[in-house]
Amino acid sequence: MSLDSINESPSAPNTRSVRGRNQFSLAFSRLRRKRLGMIALTVIAIIYLAGIFAPVLDTHGYSETNLLKTQEGPDTENFLGTDRLGRDTYTRLLWGIQTTVIVTVASLLTGALLLGLTLGLVAGYFRGTADTIIARVGEVVSAFPDILLIILLAATVRPRILDWTRSFEDSSGITGLVSSGFVDFIVIGIALLPLSWFGTMRLVRGQVLQLREADYVEAARAMGTSTPRILIRHILPNIISPLIVTVSFGMGAVAGTEIALSFFGLGVQPPRPSLGIMIGEATGRGSTAVSVLTQHPEQLLAPIAVVWLLIFAWNILGDALTDVFNPRSR
Amino acid sequence: MRKSLFLWAVALVSVAAVACGGSSSSSEPTAQSTATAVPTRASAPDIAPELRDGTPTGDTEGSPRAGDRFTQVYSDPPTLDPHLVVDGTSFGIVVELFSGLVSLDENLRIVPELAESWDVLESGTVYEFKLRPDITFSNGDPVTAQDFKWSMERAGRPETASAVAETYLGDIVGMEALINGEAGDVSGIQVIDERTLRITIDAPKAYFLAKLTYPTAYVLNRENVESGGRSWTDSPVGTGAFTLAEYRVGQRIRLARNDNYWSRPAYLDEVFFNLSGGVSMAMYENDEIDITRVGLADLDRVNDPTEPLNQDLVETPAQFGVQYIGFNVDQPPFDDVKFRQALNLAVDKELISSQVFADLLEPAYGILPPEFPGYNPELDGLRYDLDRAKQLLSESKYADESSRPRIIVTVPGSGGSPGLDVEVIADMWSRDLGVNVEIQQVEWATYLQDLNRKRLQAWGGVAWQADYPDPQDFIDILFYSDTQGNRGNYSNATVDSLVEQARTEQDISKRVELYQEAEEIIVNEAAWLPLWFDTDRKALLKQRVQDYRFTQIAIPKFKDVWVTDAR
Amino acid sequence: MLAYMVRRLLWTPVLLVIVSIVVFILGTYGPGDPVEVRLGQNYSPEAAERLREQLGLNDSIAEQWGRYVWDALQGDFGESFVFQGRTVGEILGPRLWVSAQLNFAAFLITLVFGIPLGFYAAKRQGTWSDPAVVLTTLALFALPVFIIAPFLIWLFALQLDWVPVSGWGGFFDKRIILPAVTIGVPGIAVFTRLMRASTLDVLGQEYIRTARSKGLSEVVVNYRHIARNALIPIMTIMGFTFASLFAGSLITELIYGIPGVGRISLDSIFARDFPVITAIVLIGATMLVLANLLIDFAYTVVDPRIRLQ
Repeated sequence: MSLDSINESPSAPNTRSVRGRNQFSLAFSRLRRKRLGMIALTVIAIIYLAGIFAPVLDTHGYSETNLLKTQEGPDTENFLGTDRLGRDTYTRLLWGIQTTVIVTVASLLTGALLLGLTLGLVAGYFRGTADTIIARVGEVVSAFPDILLIILLAATVRPRILDWTRSFEDSSGITGLVSSGFVDFIVIGIALLPLSWFGTMRLVRGQVLQLREADYVEAARAMGTSTPRILIRHILPNIISPLIVTVSFGMGAVAGTEIALSFFGLGVQPPRPSLGIMIGEATGRGSTAVSVLTQHPEQLLAPIAVVWLLIFAWNILGDALTDVFNPRSR
Repeated sequence: MRKSLFLWAVALVSVAAVACGGSSSSSEPTAQSTATAVPTRASAPDIAPELRDGTPTGDTEGSPRAGDRFTQVYSDPPTLDPHLVVDGTSFGIVVELFSGLVSLDENLRIVPELAESWDVLESGTVYEFKLRPDITFSNGDPVTAQDFKWSMERAGRPETASAVAETYLGDIVGMEALINGEAGDVSGIQVIDERTLRITIDAPKAYFLAKLTYPTAYVLNRENVESGGRSWTDSPVGTGAFTLAEYRVGQRIRLARNDNYWSRPAYLDEVFFNLSGGVSMAMYENDEIDITRVGLADLDRVNDPTEPLNQDLVETPAQFGVQYIGFNVDQPPFDDVKFRQALNLAVDKELISSQVFADLLEPAYGILPPEFPGYNPELDGLRYDLDRAKQLLSESKYADESSRPRIIVTVPGSGGSPGLDVEVIADMWSRDLGVNVEIQQVEWATYLQDLNRKRLQAWGGVAWQADYPDPQDFIDILFYSDTQGNRGNYSNATVDSLVEQARTEQDISKRVELYQEAEEIIVNEAAWLPLWFDTDRKALLKQRVQDYRFTQIAIPKFKDVWVTDAR
Repeated sequence: MLAYMVRRLLWTPVLLVIVSIVVFILGTYGPGDPVEVRLGQNYSPEAAERLREQLGLNDSIAEQWGRYVWDALQGDFGESFVFQGRTVGEILGPRLWVSAQLNFAAFLITLVFGIPLGFYAAKRQGTWSDPAVVLTTLALFALPVFIIAPFLIWLFALQLDWVPVSGWGGFFDKRIILPAVTIGVPGIAVFTRLMRASTLDVLGQEYIRTARSKGLSEVVVNYRHIARNALIPIMTIMGFTFASLFAGSLITELIYGIPGVGRISLDSIFARDFPVITAIVLIGATMLVLANLLIDFAYTVVDPRIRLQ
């Protein structure tokens, strides 16, 4: 299944009118009763915190090699052993998670929330020309096979942005923009945009299209309520829930794509680690995958376990949220 | 001789693949595929020559048996047109289908192929070849001197658009004009009679004959090429030991025996190249292919004598290539020789080789690889010496850390690993010398473009591999001031004059001395950081396969291979 | 309604034109040059110039694009920059066919397991088997292909020797099994989830209660009423599956040695083989446009309140 299907599999349309604030406290109390959802939320929180606090939790430098201690198993100095260059796997794992954290959050904030939500609201509510234009642009962007477009962008656009940033650094005296991976994150975030905004936009638009026909919206309109007010007071609260659901599914998809991108050497710059780079290095980009699995499984297991847990947890959470927000399917 | 892109490619392959354990390029799906497209990467079967230690391959000896087939993983050759070949992948198949006047034997000696003999006249500027009697193409047409003249001219014609005609045939009088579209034929290639061809070159160049072993000089069948149009290579007529039985892009290539071969016909009924990739080690274990390289991940296992696979283990001789990190000596801080020397001295290659690459790579302190003509075992180079490195750094223009420009080492990144060695070296430089190093990984096409424009300050992840066995192919092409191959703008008047002398020097030992002298200057001035020479690698070969020769360069190898009954 | 569909259909070629322009712009102004990739170590400005001239890369971008569109309209998508003398159709045709077969096989696996599992989970809501089904399918969904593929090869090819390690023999060859499972199994979760949600929706409807109260047998209610109605929204997602039928699966193809379109997509980007890239993108775009159309259409059928204009 393409990543699309994850984005495009929203919960069933929710046509009820529930007041926003009530809905949330209600939703959260319902979520607290979902044991699985809470476990997933906890797992996600732990992984994200581990990534955010990587600089505190790490025991080595992520690029620090030690050729006298390569490919060793776990011990008290290297909690998860060392890789072929004697770098600490535990440290690299934490920083790799941080890469995932930054990329997922940045891409979803900009793509799903800002672009997707705004455009979806506008397109769905105003319809007409605005809808047409947004839909057309969206179709063009999403007409590109997703992963291919991402790779194409990462391959063609990134090197030049890096060049510009470097010359900016040299002329301005500001340092560290490139080496900290900051620029990489921006570019990857941009590359992932097509993946994240259109799905959300469609979803929001679809919801709005239905809601604007709903009795209470028609009633509000008849009573002369202003458009922004209708959008914010009556429509937005009812969109939030399916949106949260999509976002939580989307987070898993974006994480997966970032990892694939890094796997092909188009992600963050070495030596900054990412989960995809760790997997790619361990499996020789796939060619020695079988051998590594049978000979040195430990090199694969740590990053794969994190990837697996993360995507698993995001999806369980998404399911739980679907149930929470959409009582009919409970 | 694999000219190539693929050399660069090798970059990826070697670094990546070696890293992942010397998987064979040919059977290295990752490298190729992810790494891509650059056709180049799939280096030819890297399977280089030399008998495998002279030992017969199995216990089942006896006289060669005709029949059966040999299977290996390979990648799609970008072309089967000998005149267009620039990469090892294409090369490996083209040599089985076509041939030329001369070829190389396993010891890199130039031996007669379709020419039975030749005379060098006019103090080295005229070569007169005598063709073998009664040689034919695979369709039965006779091969004449006229065919050779037509073929070489075809290679040079602008509409053929060969990337290498100039490199390999450009020494022939009149060829430049043809390539530039200023002439209709080449005066330097004369047909004396049916079996006699005379080639005149512009100066006595000792390495010219070696260049004729490259496919650019192979003979083609005019009728076949002209009637086949753009896709004539779908049913090529050649003079090699095999003919093309089937080619399905992305799926398979099957070669069948050429019964009109001028010498003893091949034993194998069929050579099968699996083009769709896969995990070759697992395929080998499952008896799906007859040969595979052994990667680092499997090294321990196959070295274990109790493991059945251990019985199939063979050594493949090193490739003639050198991996390096190049410096652009025009760009600070690389414009200071002391700084470059410091960087060289600060890298402990012995340690990296043993710890990271399981000794599959040999530290390089010079440019020319071991066993290559002109290799200098005496060359000391800049060996690891951290104290001296620090000393030199403090004497350099860039002693002051705050004003020292940062170093950006660019490596190709599409599908290749960032280069484990580059990561370690960057860490050594920054930790031991306090140099600010960044690694920039860009995708292959961008990398090549920046490299060709000489825009990279320092670059790694590449190897230079020999195209023909002559030191000119390294020293002249890579370090002469005014040459495209010199990507780092290195320039040294003494080196230039040594190289110029060597070009026309007829005495072999004198030439070698000139090149060695130049090499020493280049190495001591730290134009590069030479990293690794290939060493013998490990491969697995089914025991039923007999007389398979691993060669350092692509030469026809399947004509002597046969397999025993035992499956 | 009809007018709407016609307008959408007419928009498709416009969309493809825009898409092709975008690819041309990225190709022309982005870094990397197909000629230099092809020449590699043999690069010299003169050789590159000759080759550019031969490939027509020296013409202006508008000319190149115009020529491309003109030829494409006549069914000629050009010649690959990398595989000399081979047309794009020759290179992509067989690969698209391989990928389509593989994706279809994977899709069958997804469907055969996903739909019944989703239905079952919904019917068992409130018991332990509902979360068990959901969790299991999700756990499989989250497993990265980097681990599934080598594991399956190790188990079924090397240990049990049931199937070959790699290769391709068509739809009815047993070598299709492992890759199809690798691609298909993660997708089960998507269908299970959808089918479950949609079945629950249907279960809550009046007419089901009515049907039951009329004394219809449980089997009839299950199949004629519940399953059939629950399947309607699933059509949406099938549209997208249809769209991705010709898409390659990079890593899976790589590891199993399948001559599909995934590897060539990646390879052609890295080699800047623009005729091939453009063709792949255009095929993908066409499929997606058609799928979108289908979905929009399905929406109107499902919910007549949305009037398309």
